Amino acid sequence: MPVGRIVKTVIALLAAAIVLMLPADTFGIVGLTVLQQRVMALFVFAMFFWVLEPIPIFATSVMIIVLELLFMSNKSIKWLKPPDTLHYEAVMHNFADPIIMLFLGGFFIGAAATKYRMDINLGRVLLKPFGTNPKWVMLGMMIVTAIFSMFMSNTATTAMMLAVLMPVLRSIAPEDPARVGFALSIPFAANVGGIGTPIGTPPNAVAMKYLTPQLLDSASTVKTPLITFGQWMLFAVPYMLVLLVITWLLLLFMFKPKADKMTVNFEGKWLRSGRAWVVYVTSALTILLWLLGSFHGMSSTVVAMIPVGVFCATGVIDSNDLKQMSWEVLWLMSGGFALGMALQDSGLANALVNSIPFASMSAMVVLALVCILTFVMANFMSHTATSNLILPVVATLATALPTLGDVGGPVALLLACTFCASLSMTFPISTPPNAMAYATGWIENRDMAKSGLITGVIGLLLLGGMLMMLKTMGYFATFGA
Amino acid sequence: MSKPVILCVDDQREVLAALTKDLEPLTSHFSLVDAESADEAIDVLDDLEAGGTPIALIISDHVMPGVSGVDFLSKIAAQSRFAKTRKLLLTGLATHEDTIRAINEGHIDNYTAKPWQPGTLLATVKKLISEYVFDALPDAYLDYKGVMDPDVMINRLQRRGGP
Repeated sequence: MPVGRIVKTVIALLAAAIVLMLPADTFGIVGLTVLQQRVMALFVFAMFFWVLEPIPIFATSVMIIVLELLFMSNKSIKWLKPPDTLHYEAVMHNFADPIIMLFLGGFFIGAAATKYRMDINLGRVLLKPFGTNPKWVMLGMMIVTAIFSMFMSNTATTAMMLAVLMPVLRSIAPEDPARVGFALSIPFAANVGGIGTPIGTPPNAVAMKYLTPQLLDSASTVKTPLITFGQWMLFAVPYMLVLLVITWLLLLFMFKPKADKMTVNFEGKWLRSGRAWVVYVTSALTILLWLLGSFHGMSSTVVAMIPVGVFCATGVIDSNDLKQMSWEVLWLMSGGFALGMALQDSGLANALVNSIPFASMSAMVVLALVCILTFVMANFMSHTATSNLILPVVATLATALPTLGDVGGPVALLLACTFCASLSMTFPISTPPNAMAYATGWIENRDMAKSGLITGVIGLLLLGGMLMMLKTMGYFATFGA
Repeated sequence: MSKPVILCVDDQREVLAALTKDLEPLTSHFSLVDAESADEAIDVLDDLEAGGTPIALIISDHVMPGVSGVDFLSKIAAQSRFAKTRKLLLTGLATHEDTIRAINEGHIDNYTAKPWQPGTLLATVKKLISEYVFDALPDAYLDYKGVMDPDVMINRLQRRGGP
């Protein structure tokens, strides 16, 4: 084990231990319980391990669940059991939370689309109208990337699009700035495109977890999401498209292509086997059912199980495909949910919020602070880990802030925070798509930093504009603001 | 965990020196280890493996005193503990038969003829170690992005997914 990793582990463990050992009255919260102090230590543990990353981020998530079970649940180690506890079944349920199942449905569609080359074939059809002028080809590639990343993982989408693009970029002159522009356009489009649906990127799913009626009325125990799949897309897709076009113009301005002709080839033919048709029809049907809302009685999390069932039963997804799915991404979210659950069920979140005088704060200031914090954190660490830490706290804060109506209420605050995570794309380490594009070797650090930061800041401003607009239109009024 | 190892096996010191020079750009993420015979190489491998050091790639000459390169690589190929280790045969003197055995029994991943082009060899080695990283260290692939072959990375990530 390298020294760096040992040092990071020690720092993280030490920080958590200090929080655990301090006398209960040092935190300024009246009546802090043993459980609450342990949850606080767990939060510090998670924060340090996710920021410093001495172990993979999903491993930290798993540790959260295990530590909760061992030291905080009603079935914890007998001699260390706190007086009040979390329910162990509820802790374990986080592995199969409905939101996790929603994401699993997305995985199944993505895996089947790649396996039956639906992504490549669809890409060819979608790109065709954009012709051969490099400017338009870039916009076409960005739109295709964004559309795919709404339903597939941002990483897999970027990999697929770069694989198609690499031979083309190798054939154009090395001094043509188009190379840099194109290599940046794909990861940026994937990051931005992920905003489009609740399953586009893990932070969105984490947000769905906290967008429950509990957000508006802390006494409520209803767990169904406030916003349906279709409602999310209704505001997220237009926002995403506007930002996408702005990013395109920015990249064209910064890296003006010299070549006057460019052809991108998505090679292959539509598969016509029975299983391929199962993939086409099931994917289309699932997405349609998601968009239709809830008149059919099925929630979006239930609809997500349709591709899971159909693809397993028809052999579209076999046991090998199942093994190759990114289960670690699901576990990463599960741990976050378990942390959020512990914060809320232990009463710590409420106790913390009550100890801070929010009533006197302007909602605008809180919104700006939360957004900037998320944006900065997500630039340096995993977007999912960032939302795992920030969203449960923001969800509690939102219920306690009386002035929040000024900016559109708790729903607006939570959504803004979630979008901010996806806007963080300044460095290669900010997102896996950025890292991959950087690894092609065509991009300089400063090219990415400059264009990524400008895109992010424009996105933030646009987000403010959109919230104002939605509020004026009375969109948030349905959610009690 | 210590840096993954690239093991170079050749009975000629000059060849080992040349390899060390050509693969120098990889030393930021991999350690280069030398062995002057197949027997020495096996000792070194046992030792490294027991210490938990990942073996990413073995580059071996064929014609050496004692055990030949192809025999050595076949021995490695038969052991499951080196299942993910990539194997490159670097030789100018292998007969047709040796080559057939190198493929069928040694399961080599690449055959490079001596004398080699430094740039080409480095590119080949990058490809092989990228494949190894995705097989053996999937959670840490981003740590190696500086020395990875982008095509391999894109290809592997396409199949693997992620957030």
